[in-house]
Amino acid sequence: MNDSRSPLVSKTDSQRSLVEACFRREAGSVESIPADNVDLLEAGILDSMAWVSFLRAVETASGVPDLGSGLNQRSASLGEVLAALQNSASEISRVNDAALDPKISSSPTLAAFGASSAAVGSRVIPSEDVDRAFNMPAGKLRGRAGIESLAYAGEGENELTLGARAAQEALRSASCGPQELDWIIATSETHHDYPSLSAQLHSRLLVRENCGALDVGGACLGLLNALAVVKSLIGSGQARTILVVTADVHTRTLTPSRVAGEFGGLFGDGASAFLLRAADAVSANGGYLLGEFIFGCAGQYAAAIQVSDEKDGGLAVQFDGEALSRAAITRMEKVISSVELRSGIPRGSVGGFATHQPNPRLVALLAKQCGVSPERFPPIARVYGNLGSSTCGAALHEILRSASQQTGGELRPIFLASLGPGLLFGGAWLTPHENRK
Amino acid sequence: MQVRRCGSLTKLLITEITRMGPAFCVIGLQRENKNIHSIRPVPSSANGWIHFPHQRGDILEFSLAPFPGAKPHIEDRVSTRAFQKSSALAEAEIVPFLRRAELARSLPELFGCKVHENKKGSGLYAMPPEAQRSICGCETQNLRLEICANELRASLVLPSGEVLRDLPAVDHDWRNFVDAALAPDRGANRLPRLERFLNSNFHYKIMSCPHHFIRLGLTRPYSGLCWLMLDTLFPLPRPEWLEEF
Repeated sequence: MNDSRSPLVSKTDSQRSLVEACFRREAGSVESIPADNVDLLEAGILDSMAWVSFLRAVETASGVPDLGSGLNQRSASLGEVLAALQNSASEISRVNDAALDPKISSSPTLAAFGASSAAVGSRVIPSEDVDRAFNMPAGKLRGRAGIESLAYAGEGENELTLGARAAQEALRSASCGPQELDWIIATSETHHDYPSLSAQLHSRLLVRENCGALDVGGACLGLLNALAVVKSLIGSGQARTILVVTADVHTRTLTPSRVAGEFGGLFGDGASAFLLRAADAVSANGGYLLGEFIFGCAGQYAAAIQVSDEKDGGLAVQFDGEALSRAAITRMEKVISSVELRSGIPRGSVGGFATHQPNPRLVALLAKQCGVSPERFPPIARVYGNLGSSTCGAALHEILRSASQQTGGELRPIFLASLGPGLLFGGAWLTPHENRK
Repeated sequence: MQVRRCGSLTKLLITEITRMGPAFCVIGLQRENKNIHSIRPVPSSANGWIHFPHQRGDILEFSLAPFPGAKPHIEDRVSTRAFQKSSALAEAEIVPFLRRAELARSLPELFGCKVHENKKGSGLYAMPPEAQRSICGCETQNLRLEICANELRASLVLPSGEVLRDLPAVDHDWRNFVDAALAPDRGANRLPRLERFLNSNFHYKIMSCPHHFIRLGLTRPYSGLCWLMLDTLFPLPRPEWLEEF
């Protein structure tokens, strides 16, 4: 333990001062502080509304989340509040100590996947219809890019609704209440409004007020960026439960009147969500642990794709499809090789590759280049189009879903690899939880 | 809906039965021509009913007299005689009438006034002289119930995207459901099981229900403030849900 920390007695005193200050604010300064064992409701000192209001004030002032649920089936007394506060504080302290004190733990807490989900636009459009909408010959998207259909957002669907749908499903399948979340981390390459996507999700999901909300960029690399933040927050003991949401609605921006079909026609709309928890809080059976990451930026390819707003409200798109395709294949193969080297996991033993999928043809080429079966890449772009940051998310969800349904046999590792304009690149790996026992 | 003045009797479709403390508060819908609005029958001697042997959906005939109550409880009427049931509607049939009564999409629309956040702790309140009514319905984008230190609380998102947190849930049927879920004869870990239900199945059952609807109310003035409450949550809880957790 750190010797510079205050002695326990003074911590207890400061907690008592905090509780009493919150009580005085609620009950009024004329009210004397009741004895620790007095039930404030039965004694008529606070009514039920003031009691909950008082507890919320203590939560805010102390930084201890969800104090109220720790007081269920207890009496409404100051003594119980103090006891619950001390218990929560010592739990936080224990986790922080474990994360920071090398004598207690030599490695940071690992992050484990608790649940995942994906949602796509409700209108599934044959690619030939999209060809026609962009004034391209019918069959071009299917023949040249391998896209059979695209998921388009329906009326009333947007980044928030798709992201919230995926998030709620992930929370539900993990039996995780929104109040358990410490952070929401959102990424989107199409949502540019304020409040930001993470803030909107925070409200929509009704998470605790003191749950953080963070937006990360990186376009199609956004999911990996978000997961890297998760690893840091959980690893450092700053958070225990985090929701990552990707959501992209391209079809309202990349319209036929604004961009060429060879670019705009590739994109669909979708979202994904992942619930991650500190690994010591989840069952080791059947889950996955978040491994390590590699990141970088190959600036020599920056000109291959550039998108910017124009003064007249238009969209300036610079898209060199051939150059980008070559760069994408080369770089993703390098990323997968790096992940293989860093993790020590041979690519042949990988159960699934959750990668960015600019288009299905490039996925097939990448699989060939890497010498692995294309079946290890879930066919997201073929069925839904390029979903931006959600492509990698939807692919990862599909791999996790298949793994969870697997009966018998050992779970196999998962590789992640993605790219973003710049040319940003990143990779990571997931390992079955039981391997780390 | 057979809800109309009937001689000196007023027919009310009972839509709210709330419980806060020992007494029940009852609200019904009255139709006057094409308008439907809320009426709160109160006994002559108190603001609430100690005994109210009816259910939501019942259509009751009241003999009502104006009540010189202060704003914002303009819906109050004194029930001057015993009332009787004339007919009843099913749960799903109630909500379409509620949607035609007082309705809001945003926080200021709820009670026709500014709604304030409690700066000391949780909850929201309105100033009694400013509020134009004490009951209003609304759709929700999301809703969550939780047990906080033995108290049932609701948080919800209005269609405007505004979030209301920590409202006391005073719906009689939902409070009964929670009491039943926590009854000692239901075995061990009753509270974690209930919390798990509220965090998972509840959301799916409520938000996907075609007649999901809520009504928010204001408390009587307390220390000069009227606090927001979740008065009614449709769909109502079903006893068979208790078998699921």
